[in-house]
Amino acid sequence: MKRIFFPAVPTLPATANLMDDAVTLLAWLLGLLALALPLGILAFLAWHGAAVLSWEFLSTGPAGLPLGTAGGIGPAIQGTLALVGIGLLLALPLGIGGGIYLSEYAPRAAWVSVLRFAVECLAGIPAVIYGLFGYSLLVVFLALKISLLAGGATLGFLMFPIILIGTQESLAAVEWHEREAALALGVSRARVIRRILLPKAWPGIAAVIVLAAGHAAGSAAPVMYTASTIFSATGITLASPVMTMPTHLYHLVAEAVSFNHAYGTAFVLVAGMLLGNSLALFLRRRN
Amino acid sequence: MTAAISRTFSPLLLAVRQRHWGDAGMWTASFAAALLGAATLLFIVLFVMAEASPVLQHAGGLRGFLFGLPWEPFADPPAYGILHSWLSTLLVTGIALALAVPLALGVAVFAAEIAPALMRTVLQPFLELLAGIPSVVYGFFGYVTLVPWFEKHFDMVTGESVLVAALTLAVMVLPYVASTAAEAFRRVPGALRDSAYAMGVTRWHVISRVVMRHALPGIFAAIVLGLARAIGEALAVLMLAGNSTAVPESVLDRGQPITALLLTELGEAGVDSEKYHALFAAGVTLILITVLINLMVWWLKRGMLLRHA
Repeated sequence: MKRIFFPAVPTLPATANLMDDAVTLLAWLLGLLALALPLGILAFLAWHGAAVLSWEFLSTGPAGLPLGTAGGIGPAIQGTLALVGIGLLLALPLGIGGGIYLSEYAPRAAWVSVLRFAVECLAGIPAVIYGLFGYSLLVVFLALKISLLAGGATLGFLMFPIILIGTQESLAAVEWHEREAALALGVSRARVIRRILLPKAWPGIAAVIVLAAGHAAGSAAPVMYTASTIFSATGITLASPVMTMPTHLYHLVAEAVSFNHAYGTAFVLVAGMLLGNSLALFLRRRN
Repeated sequence: MTAAISRTFSPLLLAVRQRHWGDAGMWTASFAAALLGAATLLFIVLFVMAEASPVLQHAGGLRGFLFGLPWEPFADPPAYGILHSWLSTLLVTGIALALAVPLALGVAVFAAEIAPALMRTVLQPFLELLAGIPSVVYGFFGYVTLVPWFEKHFDMVTGESVLVAALTLAVMVLPYVASTAAEAFRRVPGALRDSAYAMGVTRWHVISRVVMRHALPGIFAAIVLGLARAIGEALAVLMLAGNSTAVPESVLDRGQPITALLLTELGEAGVDSEKYHALFAAGVTLILITVLINLMVWWLKRGMLLRHA
């Protein structure tokens, strides 16, 4: 007598396994590409920029004729750091304070969610709009001229919403029982925030600050018409324009001044950015 | 209204009544920071809008500005229309997303479903590092690699074109889309995945029919986030799109996206001139587009939260 077996699970169509293998292969290729891309870009810039990279390149100002064909990017590094520093002076108290309010004190009301939505919108507004605003209000209307102060304030506006959202989310991620336990002991809310919530949320807040600062340091659009100059003879003062790394790179390329120096500048910019972002990732990992 | 006010201030009132002055101080300081920051940001938008509003009185009005007029500052009389500009923005971002989204979804599938554990832990930070590379560097990178390549292989006078800008932009938005989509895939409940595998189907079947379908709002949110990035991108498109005020007719034509228009012309626009107002109106157009995109993201996010509640 012939027996007929029915498998418990029907066999798959022949194409199913083939399709699965094809997709797996494709996904591996794409994943490896995504891994290779940042390393490739960095290596490409380092390879071409190696000719100009030296301690002098990092420390001295641009020289030669046309300007930028010799010398270095020292003033541009200082200018970018100064701009971001001033921006942070403005954005840190407002961003962290606002984040604390929205996370810890704000009532559940319609206007709070409207406020939160507005801040999220502003975090998404293109950097070039901040440049437009900084130019018309700070440079022209308040007559700050194109200066470190005007550019730093513009970067401050740019960083504020990012830091606020990051602070709020880091605080909100601290578990509720931490607050409840402390409040139940009769500790004041200010003390709970200072001694329990902020220390817990600090790695996340610090990470978002580093990311925001990196974003600000790398954008040329907001500082192009508010702070930057091709060459600063006066050094770093609040009322005078400064050189910045991204606008210097743009100038070297757009005016075809020196591609060697452009490679060097781009490498320093990317290396600094990767270093900063790695720090942010490390901080967040500790969270 | 009074209820809202008393709810808002109740922590302060309580702190003062209980003489917790540190508490009252913390509340006041954080409330002031939130208010001041929000007010500043609101002011930014209103200020840019106020600077833009005279465009309504220009020849052609809003219609002429958006659809009719060319951008010819040196003609007599000068004309300020941004048709060429928003068309370029649309073309560049459209092509960039069409290229980046399938690749990014592939990377996200790899990062969330296929990669071995070690690769997963490496890939996510790499995507974030990739997202941190400044736009001007990508512009430079495209300028020294893609532009000469196009000049050689497409026999173009200058390789700068809508297509080159779009290709570079695609590389720029890829990490954003990929890491957001991967996050959405990871949030698909494990039980769903397990029961799908228990049916004896292949991994691709589970990914395409269960994981991706469940993470659909998240995928949309990732795409829209990429869209917002691409539209606001300034330096790369300024360096690569070619900065031509003619309306682009093919992807190998030169164009001038809105961000590039702003950066090119702002320095040469006299304060309070017709051109100055036209530039701010172009800025408002950009703001309105990003707010619209944000509304979409917010709506999608809410959909996702409701789904997981």
